[in-house]
Amino acid sequence: MQIYLPIAEISVDPFVIVTLGAAVGFLSGMFGVGGGFLMTPLLIFYGVPPAVAVGTEASQIVASSVSGVLAHLRRKTVDLLMGGFLIAGGGVGAVIGIAIFRYFREIGQIELFISIAYVVFLGAIGALMLMESMRALLRDPGVKRSRRKHRSAEWMAAMPFAMRFRRSGLYISPIPPMVLGFIAGVLAAIMGVGGGFIMVPAMLYILNMPTNVVVGTSLFQIIFVTAIATVLHAAANQTVDILLALLLLSGGVIGAQLGAKVGRRLRGEQLRALLALIVLAVCARLFFGLALPPEALFVVDPAP
Amino acid sequence: MKIILSMLAAFSLAGAAHAADISIALTDDRVEVDADFSGAAVTLFGAVTGAENPAATLDIIAIVTGPPGNFSVRPLEKRGLIWLPGKPAMIENAPRFYASTATQPIQEIAPLPDQAKFELGVDNIRAVDLYADTDSEHPFNAAFLDALESRGQYMDRVGGVSFIKGALFTVDLELPANTPVGDYDIAVYLYRDGMLIDHDSAALKVNKVGLERRIFDLAHRRPVLYGLLCVAVSLLAGWIAGLAFRKS
Repeated sequence: MQIYLPIAEISVDPFVIVTLGAAVGFLSGMFGVGGGFLMTPLLIFYGVPPAVAVGTEASQIVASSVSGVLAHLRRKTVDLLMGGFLIAGGGVGAVIGIAIFRYFREIGQIELFISIAYVVFLGAIGALMLMESMRALLRDPGVKRSRRKHRSAEWMAAMPFAMRFRRSGLYISPIPPMVLGFIAGVLAAIMGVGGGFIMVPAMLYILNMPTNVVVGTSLFQIIFVTAIATVLHAAANQTVDILLALLLLSGGVIGAQLGAKVGRRLRGEQLRALLALIVLAVCARLFFGLALPPEALFVVDPAP
Repeated sequence: MKIILSMLAAFSLAGAAHAADISIALTDDRVEVDADFSGAAVTLFGAVTGAENPAATLDIIAIVTGPPGNFSVRPLEKRGLIWLPGKPAMIENAPRFYASTATQPIQEIAPLPDQAKFELGVDNIRAVDLYADTDSEHPFNAAFLDALESRGQYMDRVGGVSFIKGALFTVDLELPANTPVGDYDIAVYLYRDGMLIDHDSAALKVNKVGLERRIFDLAHRRPVLYGLLCVAVSLLAGWIAGLAFRKS
């Protein structure tokens, strides 16, 4: 059976798409990540036009983050004030990101641009995660790890407009969160990712936010920023395929539940090493796609 | 079927014409592309009058030409580690779909001037003749044709024409799943011993319909509203999914 996607303008096997959604959902449930950075390249490998893959993935991330955000809001593990500043930065970032996206689309290099962006980000993050988890795995389990000290970030308190973020227990300027949000917004718009894989470590290690509010606040920010990116992609590029998003989502929710169950049985370091390997594999596939001699020496595209 | 019967009646009256004539009609003059569109088969009916034993003496070429579009062709060049697309050449107003169906290879049916004049066969599509003054075998031309042929949007086919009852014949036309929407032109040429005897044409519309069309139209006509709807649908779908799993 084939379903014709109205915006991607290709026929796809809905079973394959739902399975793809479930597989990525499984990984994201298992590792506690959004999965956009895996889904977008996989959609491109399957033949979805890269611009549509990015725009659609933004809307799918909105959907897959809702239930998580609601759970965190109920548990009061969202720093709404911090989230507000992250979103303010993220909104501006998304606008800039869409402008960059549109520019590369107009000069006909968007496919190349997305691929290179993914190779760079997946390569860097995969390598960092692999090194970190290897170090953790090889460490003698008898030796106690020194706990990270909760330093007050003095340089951030010294910046203008410093204020108290009650739920995070921080007294810092809103400028660093806005810059972080901005970066996540640009990434959401040009890569179709939520940016959790950058935001979570940055909130932990740069902003020094306590672990219990980091995931909830990050999800809260992601949902708004990807929603903004979705509307902007739809308005500027007409590249959001709601049918594709719903197919991915229907597989994704089931996969995420199963993944979360499996994830609870594995050690954190093992999980991260595994995720790092998957990230590096996708990165390598994209890189070889760019570096190996192409099958055809010409690219033929519809032009305006 | 009514059309064919009435045509048959008309042709049997017009018995004693000298040159043979050809008339065609489509079973359906519109093809609807909906969410589960996986290609369509369109049957073209035709009749030849004024020829004896048409199946043995006549050749037929049917050309389906889709709506025009512009294309860019870019050569890939290795720069450092990766292959980058270079400066594009534009191909303007080329058909976005082109299929020929003939009783024999076109070269054996029609003389060269006719092939060029009526754009018979993929190699004779005029819009694709980039650099026509310098070199007709330009790699950009060949690359463009290769790309569209591999996508199933350009094709030359022998066969698919069958004479059913003396003067009546059918042509099976295949439209693939990625058939572009728009107005199509179908032309049928009748040849005998390398001489064009007659030709006729018909129009075909390929339309998007149903939910699929509504989504496409909304996305292009009211893009901001569509974007907001996408977000609303995503929020709702995510919320429902969350509820479903919280209860179980």
